[in-house]
Amino acid sequence: MSGSFGGSFNRIGAIARNTFTEASRNRAFIGLGIAAIALVVSSMAISGLAVSDQRARVLVDFGLFAVSLLLVVISITMGVILVFKEVDRKTFYVVLTKPIRRAEVLAGKLLGLLSVLVVTLFLMGLAWVLVLVIRDVALPADLFKALILAWLQAALVTSLALLFSTFASPILSGVFTFGVFIVGTMIPVLQDLLTLTKGPLVASPAMRVLAEGTIKVVPDMTVFNVSKELILGIPVTWHYVSGAFFYCLGWSALFFALAVLIFSRRDFN
Amino acid sequence: MEYIIEVEGFKKHFRTVMTQRKVEAVKDVSFKVKPGEIFGFLGPNGAGKTTTMKAMMGLIRPTSGTIRILGGSPGQYAVMSRVGFLPEQPYFYDYLKPQELLHTFGRIFSIPRSVREKRIDELLRVVGLEDARNKTLRKFSKGMLQRIGIAQALINDPELIVLDEPLSGLDPIGRKEVIDLLASLKSQGKTVFFSSHILSDIERLCDRVVIIDKGLVKAEGTLEQLLGSGSGEKEILVGGLKDVASVELLAGVKSVEVVGSLVHRLVVENAQADEVLMSLLKAGLHIVSVSDQRISLESLFISQSGGGPAMEATI
Repeated sequence: MSGSFGGSFNRIGAIARNTFTEASRNRAFIGLGIAAIALVVSSMAISGLAVSDQRARVLVDFGLFAVSLLLVVISITMGVILVFKEVDRKTFYVVLTKPIRRAEVLAGKLLGLLSVLVVTLFLMGLAWVLVLVIRDVALPADLFKALILAWLQAALVTSLALLFSTFASPILSGVFTFGVFIVGTMIPVLQDLLTLTKGPLVASPAMRVLAEGTIKVVPDMTVFNVSKELILGIPVTWHYVSGAFFYCLGWSALFFALAVLIFSRRDFN
Repeated sequence: MEYIIEVEGFKKHFRTVMTQRKVEAVKDVSFKVKPGEIFGFLGPNGAGKTTTMKAMMGLIRPTSGTIRILGGSPGQYAVMSRVGFLPEQPYFYDYLKPQELLHTFGRIFSIPRSVREKRIDELLRVVGLEDARNKTLRKFSKGMLQRIGIAQALINDPELIVLDEPLSGLDPIGRKEVIDLLASLKSQGKTVFFSSHILSDIERLCDRVVIIDKGLVKAEGTLEQLLGSGSGEKEILVGGLKDVASVELLAGVKSVEVVGSLVHRLVVENAQADEVLMSLLKAGLHIVSVSDQRISLESLFISQSGGGPAMEATI
C-alpha cells in the first residue's frame, strides 16, 4: 500500500466527499433534516405552554435538547447503514478492489457522515438562534460551545454506529447504538448508585459488578450535555470543551479501531 | 513476467449463517493467464466463478491455495493500482452522476484532475454514455450501469482487466461495442480476464479458456486445444447438387443434407476429402466452402459440466 500521507489523505478525501454528496442528495436525509429543523422551530409552540417567566428557559432547554437528540437520531439512522448498505448493494465490490486500504474506506465514510452532521448542526443551530431572536430571548453566552458539544456527542454515536454496522444488520446496529447511547446518558446515575450504602447495587454483588463494568465500557454521554449550565448561566469554558473533545476522540478512536479490525478481516461473499 | 494471473490449488469453504453447515464453493481451481491474453472463464451458475474472481480481487481470502496477480498478492496497493475490475451486476451510488463516480475512483488512484477530466470524457464516449452525463445513476438502466461499470474498470488505464459477466444486460449493439472494446484492449497489449454465459462471444474473443464446474477445473487451454483442430471430418458446402444419391455413394461421405434452397452440406472423412472434392468439381458443382468439422464450445461446455442446467447457450 502506498505509504505517502498525501496519497492516503486523497483516498480518504475521495470516499468522504462521495459519502457527503450521496447523503446530501438523498431524499430520506433531506426529509430528516427538514423534520429536525421543524422540531427546533416547534419549540416556539412548546414554550407557549410554559408560564410566562419560564418561556425563555423552555426555548433554550428544548431547543438544545432538540438539536442534540436529532443529531443523535441522524447519526444512528445514517451510521448504521454506512457499511451495511454498501455491502448489501455490493458497491463495496468496486471500491475495495481499488488501491485503497479498508481502514481508509471506513475513515472516509466516517468523515463524510461527520461533514453531513456539521451541515445539519449548522442548519438546526441557525433555526434555533432564529427562534430565540424572534421570541426576543437573549442568546446564551455559551450557545456556540453547546452546539459544538452536541456535535461531539453525535460524532461519538456515529463512530459507535459505524462499529456495529461492520458486522450487524441496520436494525440490530440501531438497537445496539441507541441502547449504548441511553445507557451512556445514565452513567452519572449509576455512579451515584455505586456510592450509596444501601440499594440494589449493594444488595446484589452481581448487579454491582455489572454497573461497574458498564461505567468502564460505555462512554458517558452527559459529558456533552450543558443545558443546565446554559439555563443557569454557568460558564462553559473552552477547557471543558477541549476535555470533551478529547473524551470523544478517545472513545471514537477505540470504536473506529475495532470497526477497522472487524472490517479488515471480513470476507465479502 | 511469465504469467499475469496464477491461481494454484484455490479452495474456498463457507459456513452457512444459520446451520453453520460447511459449503465448498470452490474445491480446487488452478490456472494461469499470460500477458496480453483474452482469457475466458466459463462455468454454469454456482460453479465457483464469481468466488474465484472475488478471491483474485482480494474481496475474500482463500481457505487454501495461492493466488498471484501481476506478481503480487490480491489487495496489495501496487497490484490493485494496475487492475480494473467489473463485478457481476454492478451497483453504484444512486445519487451520483457518472462523471462524479469516475472522479471519485480517479481520486482514489491519485490521477491528476486534468488527466482525469480527459480520461473521463474519453471513457464516457467509449462506453456510449456521453448523453447521460447529467443523469443520476439511480435513473440508469441495467445496460447503462454495465457500461459505467466498464468505464470505472478502465479509469486507471489498467494492465489487467477482470470482468465478471461484462456482456450481461447489454442489448446486441451494446454487446458488439463491448466486444470491440475488449478486442481493442487486447490490441493495446492489455490482459483481459472475463467470465461470460454468452458462449459465442467467448469463442469469438478468447485466446484461452478455463471451464470450471462444481468448484473444479474441467478443461483449460486454447480453443484449438479444447475444440480440437477437427473431429477427423470436414464440412463441405456445395451448390448446384441435384443427384444426391450418387454423392452419398462416394467413399468417405458420411452424410448429405440440404441447408438452403440451393446448398447442400456434406460431412466427409478427412482422409477422403480431397477425392470427394475432386469428384464434386469434375461434376461441375460449385464448392461454397470447406472447413474443419469442430465441436462447438457449447457442446464442449455441456459435456464438461455434465450437461449442467444453468448455461444460457446464447450461440
